[in-house]
Amino acid sequence: MNQPSNNNLWRQVERILPAVTKPGRYVGGELNQVIKSWDSVRTHVALVFPDIYDLGQSNLGIAILYDILNKREDIAAERAFSPWTDMESTMRKAGIPLYSLENKRALADFDIIGVSLPYETLYTNFLNILDLSGIPIFSRNRKESHPLIIAGGQAVYNPEPVAPFVDAFLIGEGEEAALEIVDAYQTWQKTGADQHELLTHLAMIPGVYVPSLYFVKYNQDGTVKKVTPIHPSASYPVNKRIMAKLPPPLTQFLVPNVETVQERINVEIMRGCTRGCRFCHAGMVNRPIRERPIDEVLTALRAGLSQTGYDEVSLLSLSSSDYSHIIPLIEGLRTLLVDHQVNISLPSLRIESFSDALMDELQMISPGGGFTLAPEAGTERLRSIINKPISDELLMETVRSIYRHGWKTIKLYFMIGHPQETLADVQAIVDLSKAVLQEGRRAVGGRARLHVGVSTFIPKPHTPFQWVAFDDPEGIEEKLSLLHDGLRGAKIKMTWNDPDASLLEAWLSRGDRRISEVIYNAWQNGARFDAWSEHFNGDHWRLAFQQSGLDPDFFSKRTRSLDETLPWDHINSGVRKDFLKQDFQWSQQGKARPDCRQHCYACGILSTYNKLRLAAPNGGWKCP
Amino acid sequence: MNQQEQITRIRVGYSKGHSLRFTGHLDMQRIWERLLRRSGLPVRYSQGFHPRARLNLASALPLGFVSESELLDFWMDKPLPLKEIRSGLDSAAPPDLEIKSIRVVDLREESLQSLMSASEFEVEFFDPQDPETLREKIKSLLNQEAIIRTRRKKTYDLLPLILNLDTFTQDSGEIGLKICLKAEPGATGRPDEVLNELGYTNTAYIVKRTQLILSTSNR
Repeated sequence: MNQPSNNNLWRQVERILPAVTKPGRYVGGELNQVIKSWDSVRTHVALVFPDIYDLGQSNLGIAILYDILNKREDIAAERAFSPWTDMESTMRKAGIPLYSLENKRALADFDIIGVSLPYETLYTNFLNILDLSGIPIFSRNRKESHPLIIAGGQAVYNPEPVAPFVDAFLIGEGEEAALEIVDAYQTWQKTGADQHELLTHLAMIPGVYVPSLYFVKYNQDGTVKKVTPIHPSASYPVNKRIMAKLPPPLTQFLVPNVETVQERINVEIMRGCTRGCRFCHAGMVNRPIRERPIDEVLTALRAGLSQTGYDEVSLLSLSSSDYSHIIPLIEGLRTLLVDHQVNISLPSLRIESFSDALMDELQMISPGGGFTLAPEAGTERLRSIINKPISDELLMETVRSIYRHGWKTIKLYFMIGHPQETLADVQAIVDLSKAVLQEGRRAVGGRARLHVGVSTFIPKPHTPFQWVAFDDPEGIEEKLSLLHDGLRGAKIKMTWNDPDASLLEAWLSRGDRRISEVIYNAWQNGARFDAWSEHFNGDHWRLAFQQSGLDPDFFSKRTRSLDETLPWDHINSGVRKDFLKQDFQWSQQGKARPDCRQHCYACGILSTYNKLRLAAPNGGWKCP
Repeated sequence: MNQQEQITRIRVGYSKGHSLRFTGHLDMQRIWERLLRRSGLPVRYSQGFHPRARLNLASALPLGFVSESELLDFWMDKPLPLKEIRSGLDSAAPPDLEIKSIRVVDLREESLQSLMSASEFEVEFFDPQDPETLREKIKSLLNQEAIIRTRRKKTYDLLPLILNLDTFTQDSGEIGLKICLKAEPGATGRPDEVLNELGYTNTAYIVKRTQLILSTSNR
């Protein structure tokens, strides 16, 4: 029979696969995967998403890097994901290490392992992957013979909680930097110098942060006193990496042989957001806003469809309706729809940038189904505080228009636990929801439906709310039960987050380097798949805090003083701390900051990256 | 010709290799839908808001099996030279799915599922087996009056479903099994059930389907 690979490891794996659930996750072999002869390339890079294949395979960041790295002849980029718990125990029993899906090689055989960390609840899976690969978990215990461990993704804008496990972080956008990292690696290999030498070279690449080249000093009270570079090549601060112009979008998507989430063509229409919602990490760290030209988007969609055979496309951005040419874009999509018979999704539409014309267009490409809006808070007062200043009147007008245009179901997203939130603000979510459904009934009668999704606000680094306390669990429970009671019997479906899981995110997102020990202990206590409600166990973490002698409340409940050195202050997202401070103060005065497409408020992006912008005059920047 | 007369039914023979071993029946249908989309052929779609390619797979292959002779029918809105259809399918096929044959089938013919009569399989063992012991096991199995088994809470007799069960020598020189099982609607035997009776769990072997036998002289 036609064996995909002849190595011993794979022969072992093939035997155990029939005994585990969904074995199709562990075999690779998909359309558009890239397999290079192992010995024909100089540098082997494993790209890891630390959750199961079903979830990780659709990750756009990994897909983009896979494409870029594999386009270089001397590099082979291969994929690996977390095995599900049954596969993990089967592998451990049989002594099988984690392997790549392409050449079925043990991860320890790779030169570089790049790990995607888009959210904090993947940290224990990350450690587990290193362990399953037989790679020491702490960088300090690794030798030159071990792969270089690089981490990137939205969570590592605060790299400190996982700093002791990672050799180098890539802060920001990886399209160019990934290749520069490989180049530095290859140069170092030629010289035969020690690993410290490699790290100092990596540290000179813009956007790369090598944590071992910085020393953290703490105050008596546990706050950070100072972070000091201890090598001349370590810059202070580390500026995030950005692309002056977004490269053409990916079209060569892998087509899985077993069902995964989001099997579709994902094309990013723009990066960044100018709205400045104060709770929003993505909106702050992904500045500046850069748009892709409309024809580039449409060409990529067509190419993607013909290379995959998918019947669904999705246009990604933080705020689709703010895209400068949204109406012509949707008109272009309509011809795509006619030619290819595809479903189109256009998420993240903002209430402020709606128009009847937009709704007419949307109705043509995506009739039926649901429509999602995110007012985030129940009162105008609170919406001003979080800088999503939509009036009740505008919201109701939009809702009316959506129902009248023929959509039967509306989904509203809210957050609870905002700074300065009172129970009256939460009650207002109930009242507003009821009013929305009533509006729907008036427009389409009994067929009108409303879903209310409620998540918990978690203060994030690099946002104007980075200083505030996380709402305590009792407060959240009280607000949730107010919502449950209020919406009961109103025929409104409500979904919400587990408050305990939000607490974990609150501990980790603003953690310092010391909290790495908590992560390590939690993993040793059995924490895995913390992003999965059926696996998450808060007790593993509470015990881990005890074992590490750290107080969890210090990270979640504490209001930081505005002049405190924050653990991530040496990482520059491009948005100045002074700007965030001012914005926070404005929030306390209930003062909104308008969309910065019209007027520049000097957040810091232009002063840091203006040279880059000038070098790419057609980069699609929408800063005024 | 009116539109109805133009509709063409194509029967494809294809193989399913190792990469697709753990791709189940529903996922295979999706793989074919995508393959047909990529092929650019004038595939016939269902009406409605979510149009889907009309296709018909002969027989579900159990998870973990490979095959060198699967069959599928699909329909096109208009006829095309076979050569053109073949190259469209070839260029769109994913790794480990090889197009083996294509031909035009009468529109009025019954569905592939209802034409199914039997399936032939070859079993390769991961660990070498002693030929004599294996033959003894087969003999005593087939000598029983009935092989009562329970699958998905239903009790049935496996024995009448076994049309043939014998050893053969593989290219490697090791001993393997050839199994032919009835595959009629409502009376389909599974090789893993036979292998289980012989004392093998599903991690001991790999099964390849070698032939599908249709009731009307292998159409």
